[in-house]
Amino acid sequence: MSLEQAVFAVAGLVCIVAAIIAATHRDPRTAGGAFLLTLASLAVLYAGLAAPAVSAAVILVGLFVTVPVLVPLTVPVSHGPVAAGPAVAGAALLIAGATFAIIFATIALGEVPINVSLRSSDGYDVAALRDIVTGRSAAAVGASAVLLIAVLMAARAARRDPQRSP
Amino acid sequence: MTTAAYLVLAAVLFAVGLLGTLVPANAIGRLVGVELMLAASALTFAAAAVGFRELDGQVAALVVIAVAIAQASVGASLVTRARRPE
Repeated sequence: MSLEQAVFAVAGLVCIVAAIIAATHRDPRTAGGAFLLTLASLAVLYAGLAAPAVSAAVILVGLFVTVPVLVPLTVPVSHGPVAAGPAVAGAALLIAGATFAIIFATIALGEVPINVSLRSSDGYDVAALRDIVTGRSAAAVGASAVLLIAVLMAARAARRDPQRSP
Repeated sequence: MTTAAYLVLAAVLFAVGLLGTLVPANAIGRLVGVELMLAASALTFAAAAVGFRELDGQVAALVVIAVAIAQASVGASLVTRARRPE
């Protein structure tokens, strides 16, 4: 087993286990901690994919969004259960099963590139990334920037005057 | 490392998030479930970007992360508001 495969195996296992704990644990503090562990393992996986910008974004989200959001939420712990019948669980299984079916069918049909390890070794192509961001993805990136600014302004307004927040 | 391995991992992560969203223990579990599904989609974009040797997928992953930030903020506001005594 190569180093890359070992990193993928460990980070993937940690990611899945932490995600299961985050999604199913009834204690919000444990769920929040597990979610942070999921984000950290995702950052490792992105780094393994030679996607340092995405990896850095995940780390920044963990440090500056998830932690400030989760800490105030998890201190006053609420255990109010939400009713979910077997129909809802069945819908979840159906959607998840369809997702796996699509993934495996795509792989079986040979539509997926075989190996991500054959990536270019000449480093991160910042110029190409800049061309995409300012070119054909400019609308999406601009909309995301506007969205982030709006969220930051709303968060500041809510913190300044919590009684009047919607 | 194969692209398929990353895609299967993302599918598992999406399924876990879906389960957390539809069968939640509490409101935070639902919020975390949606975040996990968004993280899974971003991982799929990034893996496909490397596999197809196109950077568009990484840009899409960054957009998905930006949406996840907004979703987390709005969800946290709703949970906080729901808990606040009238």
